[in-house]
Amino acid sequence: MKKIISHTLIAMLLLGCAYVMSPLPTGAFSSQQIQRGAFGDDVIELQARLQYIGFYNGTIDGQFGYGTYWALRNFQEKYGLPVDGIAGNTTKKKLVDVSDYNEQFVKNNINKGNKFTHYGGTPLENQVSKGTGKKKEVQLPAKYSDQDLKLMANAVYGEARGEPYEGQVAVAAVILNRVEHPDFPDTVGGVIFQPGAFTAVDDGQIWLTPNERAKEAVLDALNGWDPSENAIYYFNPITATSKWIWSRPQIKKIGLHVFCI
Amino acid sequence: MNSGPAFMKKIIFVLVYSIAALSIFTYGKTTENKQLSYLLSGQYTDKMTEATKKLEELDTAVKKTLLFKEEEGSARAREDIWRLSSEIKNSVGSLPLDRGFSNSWMNYLGRLGNFAKESERTGNTEEYHKIMTEASKNLRNMADEWEVATSGLIDGSMTIKGWKNQLESVDSAHDWAGMTETVKKNTESDFPLTASEADSQKKKDLEKLTDKNISSDEAIERFKILFPEVSTGSIVVETSKPGSPYPFYHIRFAKDQSIGYIDITEKGGHVLSFLAERPFTESSLDFSVIQKRAEDFLSNSGFGDTVYEEARENNTAWHFVYVRVEPEYNAKVFSDVIHLKIAKDTGNILGMNAMEYIQKEETKKQPIKRINWKEFFHSNVEVINEELAYVENDRLEQRLSHYLTVKMENEGITETYKVVVDTETGEIIETEKQQ
Repeated sequence: MKKIISHTLIAMLLLGCAYVMSPLPTGAFSSQQIQRGAFGDDVIELQARLQYIGFYNGTIDGQFGYGTYWALRNFQEKYGLPVDGIAGNTTKKKLVDVSDYNEQFVKNNINKGNKFTHYGGTPLENQVSKGTGKKKEVQLPAKYSDQDLKLMANAVYGEARGEPYEGQVAVAAVILNRVEHPDFPDTVGGVIFQPGAFTAVDDGQIWLTPNERAKEAVLDALNGWDPSENAIYYFNPITATSKWIWSRPQIKKIGLHVFCI
Repeated sequence: MNSGPAFMKKIIFVLVYSIAALSIFTYGKTTENKQLSYLLSGQYTDKMTEATKKLEELDTAVKKTLLFKEEEGSARAREDIWRLSSEIKNSVGSLPLDRGFSNSWMNYLGRLGNFAKESERTGNTEEYHKIMTEASKNLRNMADEWEVATSGLIDGSMTIKGWKNQLESVDSAHDWAGMTETVKKNTESDFPLTASEADSQKKKDLEKLTDKNISSDEAIERFKILFPEVSTGSIVVETSKPGSPYPFYHIRFAKDQSIGYIDITEKGGHVLSFLAERPFTESSLDFSVIQKRAEDFLSNSGFGDTVYEEARENNTAWHFVYVRVEPEYNAKVFSDVIHLKIAKDTGNILGMNAMEYIQKEETKKQPIKRINWKEFFHSNVEVINEELAYVENDRLEQRLSHYLTVKMENEGITETYKVVVDTETGEIIETEKQQ
């Protein structure tokens, strides 16, 4: 009997230890540490909780930028935690203890693209107003905007949706190469809508809804990938009618497109 | 059962009804198309008229700057040159013109505007006067040519369809090819490439690579060493086309569900870029694990002279940026960069882009003047981090700079900026607001 009791006690002690040592027992945070550059649900919860207790005044968008970083450091300093701007287990536990998070309210408003805040002490329904109706889907390098991504994804899908992934990234890279080139307009929109530049603009296919693959291809191009190897033109040799395009020095062929300068 | 005449009657009724509906639809569509065509024609005519008018203003602005010996007298007109050339460039970019002409015309206008702006900084009035006198003559000729070429559309004697047909016609009424050649010649004579621009182009074209050529087998071997997890399936190797400024091997691969490519230079076997595509699982590794994978990969692959700069998480992968560190000043060189794309679910390298890293920047020694940041910035600005970095200025020169992270407190909101200041001249090369 004694043995059974001592075994039971040991088992309970071990379970208790496991519970205490577990990565994160409270809240909806995942077990991952959250730091600058992170994006997604963990960051949304982090921002919402920091805002609830008045440390974060920015937009709750799931993007861990400098605004979130300074807010987190201030929180860590106030609560005597190591000040590193990284939300590890200790910081997350403390944050869960001292704040509240209405996940449904926050996620609903993000999905609807509303403007909202999540401060404690004020009724949440008083903290919402109509926004753009769009939610942030990806993180981009600082010099590009969500509008650039959208326009380019439309162009890539309209021009190259049947092409391999590499070919789609290459088409996006050609648009960016033109923006940087002195012979072309200086903006993504200017390049895409330059008369006669892209078939998809002429035949209206640019207005088709792009798929996730086209968006991912554009994201890679915006992050620096250029499978076209610095091309500023491309054409389909089967359908090209312009004689001029054949006079351009060719670099490589990807799928049905020949890329040239 | 239908009787014969009654059935015929019904058929005829349906046919007549269909033809009538079709005619109304066609008429409606034609009218709509015509309206759209008029609208577009109006927009294009407006843009062309605007470009013509601004071209006149630009010509006048250039001449105005030639009136004065002193820089101050022409400062406003120089600003006008920059503004007008930029506005005309925008108009030209949105007009249906001969592609070759449009490209070279935009190039000329851009260089004219940049020269006017840049000359304010250099203060070399003699050189400015010499170049702009020539540019003024060329600009006058171009304005006359432009007026003749666009007169049909501007005075309404030509439709937009007629204009487009004329552009595509072999026997075009206007010699666009001749105009293109003239603008190109003017660009070369008035605003030739500066040494920095030529260097920048050489770097882009990997012109200075002197490494020994490698064979396609050696390129495959390099691929297998760097990316063993995707290089044991099927592989197809092609060489770049003869027009490529730098020859390279284009290797396509497929392994299980991963497909992708890697481009490796023929000279020296350097990786230009690598990208793989595959389905992803929902699981996600911790950032520290992924970052360690990135750094282990770089140090084991001969890129140990790079340091972490930033990372961005997205749905399936992290995009990392690493920059080379130059040992003399322990300064980051932002033009020698490597991008990595790493899968969140497995930590595998999905992409690498090292095109800019291959041919390293030639950096020069440069004096470092002490700057008192408290005097340099407003009192609500705090310098959080200070490093040294080589950064390209707008003249495409690599300058040793103070690379600062600063935060500014304003009514309870903290904003963060990266500020780049030339160590010798104190010029602010760049200020970028951080997200």
